[in-house]
Amino acid sequence: MTGMSENEQTLEGVNEELHTRGATDGLPVVPPTEDRVTELLRGTDLPPDEVLATVGEREGSVTVRKLAINAVMAGCAPIHLPVLVAGARAMDDPAANVDAAAVDPGSWAFQWIVNGPVREDLDIRSDTGAFGPGFWANRTIGRALGLTYQNTALVHPDSEETGVTGNPFKYTLVAGENEDRSPWAPFHVDAGYDREDSTITLSARRSFVQFIPYEMDAEGVLRAMQYNTTPDMVAGSAGDTTKTVVHTVAPYNAEELGEAGLTKQDLKEYLAENSVRPADELGAVDRAPGTEEATATGAVEPLQAKTIESPEHVQVYVVGGSGRFSAVGHTMGGPVTQQIEFPSEWETLLDEYSVERNWGEITEEYDR
Amino acid sequence: MSFLDPTASAEDTDQKPLAERIDSLDGKRIGLVGNGKQAAEPVLNVVEERLREQYDDVSIEYYLVEELNMLKDDSVLEDIGEWAADTVDVAITAMGDCGSCTKFLAWATDSIEANGVPAVGLVEEGFVMDWKSNSIERGRSLRFQVIPVRCEVTDRDRIRGDITGDVLADIADELTRPRDEDERELATAD
Repeated sequence: MTGMSENEQTLEGVNEELHTRGATDGLPVVPPTEDRVTELLRGTDLPPDEVLATVGEREGSVTVRKLAINAVMAGCAPIHLPVLVAGARAMDDPAANVDAAAVDPGSWAFQWIVNGPVREDLDIRSDTGAFGPGFWANRTIGRALGLTYQNTALVHPDSEETGVTGNPFKYTLVAGENEDRSPWAPFHVDAGYDREDSTITLSARRSFVQFIPYEMDAEGVLRAMQYNTTPDMVAGSAGDTTKTVVHTVAPYNAEELGEAGLTKQDLKEYLAENSVRPADELGAVDRAPGTEEATATGAVEPLQAKTIESPEHVQVYVVGGSGRFSAVGHTMGGPVTQQIEFPSEWETLLDEYSVERNWGEITEEYDR
Repeated sequence: MSFLDPTASAEDTDQKPLAERIDSLDGKRIGLVGNGKQAAEPVLNVVEERLREQYDDVSIEYYLVEELNMLKDDSVLEDIGEWAADTVDVAITAMGDCGSCTKFLAWATDSIEANGVPAVGLVEEGFVMDWKSNSIERGRSLRFQVIPVRCEVTDRDRIRGDITGDVLADIADELTRPRDEDERELATAD
């Protein structure tokens, strides 16, 4: 660390310096030494000075090198960089609306859903415990992208970031879609990619409400999906802001829906069509999509309003393992999907850096 | 780089033997043990129907706890073991279809085995690892049968379609198939 005192070059010293500057997320980081950053850059064939995104009011540049520095700090290895590059490009898409989501009082957290074979290459968890904790790639990829945004947009609580309560998902919120246990085509295939492509999808998620179906059949699953979508999860498009309701559906619940012949589009249509709420339950009724005209032209306000403007404002992913808990949330921006591209020495890097977990599977000890 | 181990040291649990199996369920007293999970009683009710269809002269005794996860209390575990020893020849326990319920179902099944009564736990396919790890860590490689009743399902008609005569035969096999060498060696070591 050129220019730093001997004390600062210790692990503790580097962390103290970076904490002082507001360059961490409050947790310890791996010191981003020149050697570590150089090694991490083996994860891409792109030049280090290539700009992947421009973020924040100060239009900070997310270069490949800045991304790599933050990736080192987050605990990533070179094999994670291709995913991070795609994630950074997703942040650059105006449709992701990251500059609004990141500083909003609603404390929206970047949610990243990964599809395709890279999930297996990097052990990106999509089954039991997918959203964490415990899985190296899931945890560090989200952390690296969060640190990258923070350190290039230069936003912090009490300055530009105004999240009222804050949100622990801002540390990292990453899952693979559980394509193997889904009755439907994967999200990225619906979005026009090939199944063998790998992608990362960004939308900023505010809430994470877990629930179990009211009955263990398709109707019970759908009713629970609807009823647990809270009144403030208003989904629609206004100006440059799109909000959605996102359902991360447990495989068993998806199985009930699939066996009843329901497609993902069927779910979205059902959820949008049945999102009718008593107007007074919504507080300010004109927050709900499609009611502005009624309230402006009528002498009295409508008694009911829809909270989901259209089926396009519902996202559905199959995430998680065995059991019945699904989760619903509310997102701002996106979903924006970017394809992940791999460096020429990808297989070599996988050989060097992949870690074989010795837990979470049926080991010999238990396999009696 | 050397580092200190952050994980707790834990002794491997000494493994104990399974109870000796019986020759046949015909004419036997069969205990049906429910752990309070919603699916437990309907599943056991359908198992009872199949048992009565398939075996002559069986008698059925239920041990149902009022609330989920009462099976973790020592007094309840002691009671269920004594109940099994006094009342039944074999026991079928249900339902292992979540994390904590599978753990404590294994504990109850262990108490029954510890009192010399052969037992088998009914487990949903997604919780097999949970059953195995809890069984080994409890100190007995307990037998189980995966049943094709999907997690949390309580509809008896649907369960009747899932628990066929063949499934019951597999359950019965766990109670009647003689212990293998490992299970007998453990018995000798004990």
